[in-house]
Amino acid sequence: MMLRYVVNRLLLMIPTMIAISIIVFVIIQLPPGNYLESYIAELQAQGESVDPQKIAFLREYYGLDKPLLQQYLHWVGGMLRGDFGYSFEFNLPVTKVIGDRMLLTIIVSGVTILFTWAVAFPIGIYSATHLYSWGDYGLSLLGFLGIAIPNFMLALVMMYLANVYFGTSIGGLMGPEFIGKPWSWAKTQSVLEHAWIPVIVIGTHSTAGMIRRLRANLLDELQKQYVVTARAKGLSPRKVLFKYPLRMALNFFISEIGSILPHIISGTEITAVVLSLPTAGPMLLNALKSQDMYLAGSFLMFLALMIVVGVLVSDLALVALDPRIRLQGGVAR
Amino acid sequence: MMRRVTRSLFTMTVALLLAGAAGAEEPPMLEPEIAAGKLPPLVQRLPRTPLVVDVKRPNWTPGRYGGDMRMLMGKDRDIRMMVVYGYSRLVGYDEQLRIVPDILERIDNEGSRVFTLHLREGHKWSDGQPFTSADFRYYWDDVVNNKELSPFGMPQALLVRNKGPRFEVLNETTVRYSWDEPNPQFLAVLAGPSPIYIYRPAHYLRRFHPRYVGQEKANAQASAAGSRTWAGLHQKKDEQYRNDNPDLPTLEPWINTTPLPSTRFVLVRNPYFHRVDTAGRQLPYIDRVIVNISEDKLIPAKAGAGEVDLQARYLRFDNYTFLKQNEKRNRYRVLLWEKALGSQMALYPNLNVDDPAWRTLMRDVRFRRALSLAIDRHEINEVVYFGLGVESSNTVLKRSSLFRPEFREAWSKLDLKAANTLLDGLGLTKRDAKGLRLLPDGRPMEVVVDTSGESTEETDVLELVRESWRKIGIALFARPSQREVFRKRVYSGKAMMSVWTGLDNGIPTPEMSPRELAPTLQEQLQWPMWGQYYENNRTGGQAPDMPDALELVRLFDAWRQSADDAEREQIWLRMLAIHAEQVYTIGIVTRALQPVVVSNALRNVPAEGIYSWDPGAYFGFYHTDTFWFDSKGRP
Amino acid sequence: MNDSGLAAVPGAADHFVSTAPFDPTSAARLTPEQERFYLASQWMLMWWKFKRHRVAVVSAIILLFMYASTLVTEVLVPYNLHTRHTDFIYAPPQSVHWIHEGRLTGPFVYELKKSLNMETLRRDYTEDTTKPYPVRFFCNGDPYQFWGMIDMSLHVTCPEEGATLFLLGTDRLGRDVLSRIFYGARISLTIGLLGIAVSFALGLVIGGIAGYFGGWADLLIQRVIEVIRSFPELPLWMALSAVLPVTWSPILIYFGITGILAMLEWTGLARAVRSKLLALREEDYCTAARLMGARPKRIIGRHLLPGFMSHLIASATLSIPGMILGETALSFLGIGLRPPITSWGVLLNEAQNINVVALYPWLMLPVVPVIVVILAFNFFGDGLRDAADPYR
Repeated sequence: MMLRYVVNRLLLMIPTMIAISIIVFVIIQLPPGNYLESYIAELQAQGESVDPQKIAFLREYYGLDKPLLQQYLHWVGGMLRGDFGYSFEFNLPVTKVIGDRMLLTIIVSGVTILFTWAVAFPIGIYSATHLYSWGDYGLSLLGFLGIAIPNFMLALVMMYLANVYFGTSIGGLMGPEFIGKPWSWAKTQSVLEHAWIPVIVIGTHSTAGMIRRLRANLLDELQKQYVVTARAKGLSPRKVLFKYPLRMALNFFISEIGSILPHIISGTEITAVVLSLPTAGPMLLNALKSQDMYLAGSFLMFLALMIVVGVLVSDLALVALDPRIRLQGGVAR
Repeated sequence: MMRRVTRSLFTMTVALLLAGAAGAEEPPMLEPEIAAGKLPPLVQRLPRTPLVVDVKRPNWTPGRYGGDMRMLMGKDRDIRMMVVYGYSRLVGYDEQLRIVPDILERIDNEGSRVFTLHLREGHKWSDGQPFTSADFRYYWDDVVNNKELSPFGMPQALLVRNKGPRFEVLNETTVRYSWDEPNPQFLAVLAGPSPIYIYRPAHYLRRFHPRYVGQEKANAQASAAGSRTWAGLHQKKDEQYRNDNPDLPTLEPWINTTPLPSTRFVLVRNPYFHRVDTAGRQLPYIDRVIVNISEDKLIPAKAGAGEVDLQARYLRFDNYTFLKQNEKRNRYRVLLWEKALGSQMALYPNLNVDDPAWRTLMRDVRFRRALSLAIDRHEINEVVYFGLGVESSNTVLKRSSLFRPEFREAWSKLDLKAANTLLDGLGLTKRDAKGLRLLPDGRPMEVVVDTSGESTEETDVLELVRESWRKIGIALFARPSQREVFRKRVYSGKAMMSVWTGLDNGIPTPEMSPRELAPTLQEQLQWPMWGQYYENNRTGGQAPDMPDALELVRLFDAWRQSADDAEREQIWLRMLAIHAEQVYTIGIVTRALQPVVVSNALRNVPAEGIYSWDPGAYFGFYHTDTFWFDSKGRP
Repeated sequence: MNDSGLAAVPGAADHFVSTAPFDPTSAARLTPEQERFYLASQWMLMWWKFKRHRVAVVSAIILLFMYASTLVTEVLVPYNLHTRHTDFIYAPPQSVHWIHEGRLTGPFVYELKKSLNMETLRRDYTEDTTKPYPVRFFCNGDPYQFWGMIDMSLHVTCPEEGATLFLLGTDRLGRDVLSRIFYGARISLTIGLLGIAVSFALGLVIGGIAGYFGGWADLLIQRVIEVIRSFPELPLWMALSAVLPVTWSPILIYFGITGILAMLEWTGLARAVRSKLLALREEDYCTAARLMGARPKRIIGRHLLPGFMSHLIASATLSIPGMILGETALSFLGIGLRPPITSWGVLLNEAQNINVVALYPWLMLPVVPVIVVILAFNFFGDGLRDAADPYR
């Protein structure tokens, strides 16, 4: 039963990934022009000129003169063989370009997720158990403020103030003198000095959503008969809360674990751009802007794959954890 | 006629004296390596006659060795700007905009047809290998004439009427290029900020070339490196301008040691650099250049926080107040250099626009004059440029010997009455209910100006122009689009007017090409199709059919044939006069200023300068290799 | 139990018979309050429940005022959208005074005096406190066309002749920030509503098809939704806004951007609709309707939708802030609305550089209405959702 379900899901992933790859390719082709044209335009905007002979050479070498379908098949075929294509901008294979940035991205995202949970969890429980109290309003207000202040504004202002008052160097994840140096105490310190801004900016943004979902789920559970019964039987409020309702309400944490990482990577591009973080986001945005198509395309495919796999994993985890879903045979995300 | 372009005899003698005087001071950074025997002593590293740099500028002093110069760039690829700032060229412009030998010891120019290039004996690449005529031969035989490396032939600048030069190697240090007809652009192209490299480090590149290692090995290397062809790998390794291959030997003052991608590039001094100061000490003074990569919007903020020692790129005029405010606290000074653009911003009526009614109007000089007369340049100058610009048509700057006040003033003073009279004279007298004039076919006169939306400055200026044009019964709408789209719309005639910077070179001398003034390139926004016609050797696009435009083409051809300075000057002035009278482009404000942030510790950066791409290479022709750090000012 | 009569008869035996007439429903009789409660319509109940969420009520009122203001923006603000004052570039917010030389003179402002600092290229402003200029109310100021039809020049407040009234300062062309914020509300507030309307319709139709018909349609739609949701938002935005034809007029671009925002928002709604429908279509009343020959359209529209409409409205309300923020994010990336259209996103985009943060912080003020609206919509939506199931 379980095995069949897993196999089924895996098979369904194939058409999904194909569809995604087509959409990705369309997306990177949609903007008019191609990499070389935006390259020329950029150089000319700076007053530089380019030799048409060289452009012609590059167009042929990069295969930009081929029909679209052929370019697509070339790209997909390459990916199946583990070749993610070539970045025009960096003149390097895509894997080499992305590699370095991924680690930092995952570190930043991980810390941010932890921060989000640490903040959202107590607030959500408090709000649900103290419905319509001033505490509920006040804490929800705090959470919503995180959504309401546009990230780019918050990031810019915090960065400026940190520079003026704490002397933190502007932007980046560490002082420029530490880049490329081995890890040391001073470097760690510098990273900590810089990292709190993105963590707070990105963290506050996702906190509110988390609070709201936890509060709503918990409210649903607290209305249920078994809770009423437990309470009627004189169970202590703390126990009533922690024994089952909270656990049930936590299901959504599991269901989101899969999708949260890619979304933090992609959903925080703007903050990362403002703060000039050496993470994946700004690179993806630049690649899209300059139409560095294989870099952008493989990047997007990678993110999409992470989401699809993440959803699968969280669905399986839910099935394993929640007997009701298992018995009904259906899976709700 | 034989003309020698050399530095003064005086410097030559000094150079010879110096080369003899062994034991000049070694840069301290290199001493350990010299002591360990990894580097030969100075005398063996320098060419027999090094270039002696003697900058005649007030407050210029010989410097001291040492220090890291921090700069910021917006993209990894910007590392190429260090080749621009380093500005080591076969020949280069000096501060008076004369072309003088740099890497070359001298150059003989016979009627702009035959150029004999004399290399410096004993000159070495940054890896210590000799730099000789073999490197020119490699480029000629194995790069530019190799079908796989150059499938589309020679660079444009080497072609005169589609014919390349004859190339001869006279001896180890002498090569000659000769054309049948004059090629006056040749030296200017070699001196450009992004020059044509007619020499390559042959000893390094040979190992990727099938002629030297065999087809099989070349291909194997390519596929191991992930390239489809050996030509791709060769091309990738051979990017002197891109500056992205740390292994590639160079002749620049600093060598890039960091491969892409990175957020921090470190460039170290070239121990074999060919320039020395008047005391015979090898340049550059500064040991290392650190280029940090940051989001371009953050660069003003970082510069204001004192995180750079020298920065102009990505700083805009409106950042000046902010930068100035933090000057004392973060120990730097903000200079304002002049940009060399003919106009900071100019309107380009598209003479090749699709719409026939508009095309007729755009081609009528009275219409263009009326538009130009109806711009309140003074207000724009006050509002956007703090009154520091100069209200001017799109022409050359006062610094240029070709400047004439009447070019600047032609049709550039606000005169709504005259503008209205001109428009009435065109028969555009009917108006609609809102007071807009009507085209002959009854449509209201709504001019759509395409912009690439590079900055709020453009939007603001257009907003101000819109208001004064409204007073002559013409509405203006700005249509922002991305750069590529912008260009495509202009080229195809869909855009009726566009806005862009004015003449790229506002400080020309008669020896520089007046190409920008005649229809020669598609990228000329006022006549893209005529430009395309000439760019593609009189095919494609459209042939111009207006007498004044044809006259410009004729004059440009005459300039190319001319080897006489006085004649060239006459041609330039004639072309500028036609431009001023015909108002092909509507300039607004010129002499715009570029903020330059300089650390208080950094010396020899001129307080007033020109910020120009070509000629100038931005900081390049101010000799960045002679900038130095005064340890007293160092934080 | 029986409260109708305990009329004690003196000396009566312990046997008692009530004289009151027998009322068989008395056990289930309701108090008037209860009756009102049980007989009230669903919407009525929701309203009662909603009222309990006080912050939500306040939010609703704020939103109502904000939307109402967009109808009469021209009248409310002291200046027009594009009125420039080139003598007052980057003027800081002007304060309104009450007391002049020790006497209460009512609200007035002082004239601004500008001095150019050529050293730092900064314009410095000082107040000239010699003469008070009273703030006028319901007065004639900049002329405008009300709703594009009627020529008017009435403003709620305007400055005295010769004085200025920049309550929130001016921008780099000397335009009044307060007026621009009000005009920006027109675009920013409606873009959320319009966008949500579009995505609501899409979500209903597509989710309805998937949920009611099930089978292949469901499977296909599920896949499509999954694919769309597997996508990081930004690249999609960028690609979609890149295809908006450049020849479009600003107003078309506005609709285009709205459409793009809606395109990405409908999946969540469609998913909710689908799962609700799946559950509800198995209910008896639905089977009954089907047996009686009702067509799918009628069953969905008449029987199923009302069952969960309230939930949908609540979750739609909660997505409006996302759209408003989406617009600002697009403007930030330079792919959203662009001047001369003025939205909060456009205003904020112009404000996000270091000059503004360090020198002209009042240009960041458009962030305030954004925050207020987002908060209001969130609380309002929360209240709606809590109220959506009134029987709890």
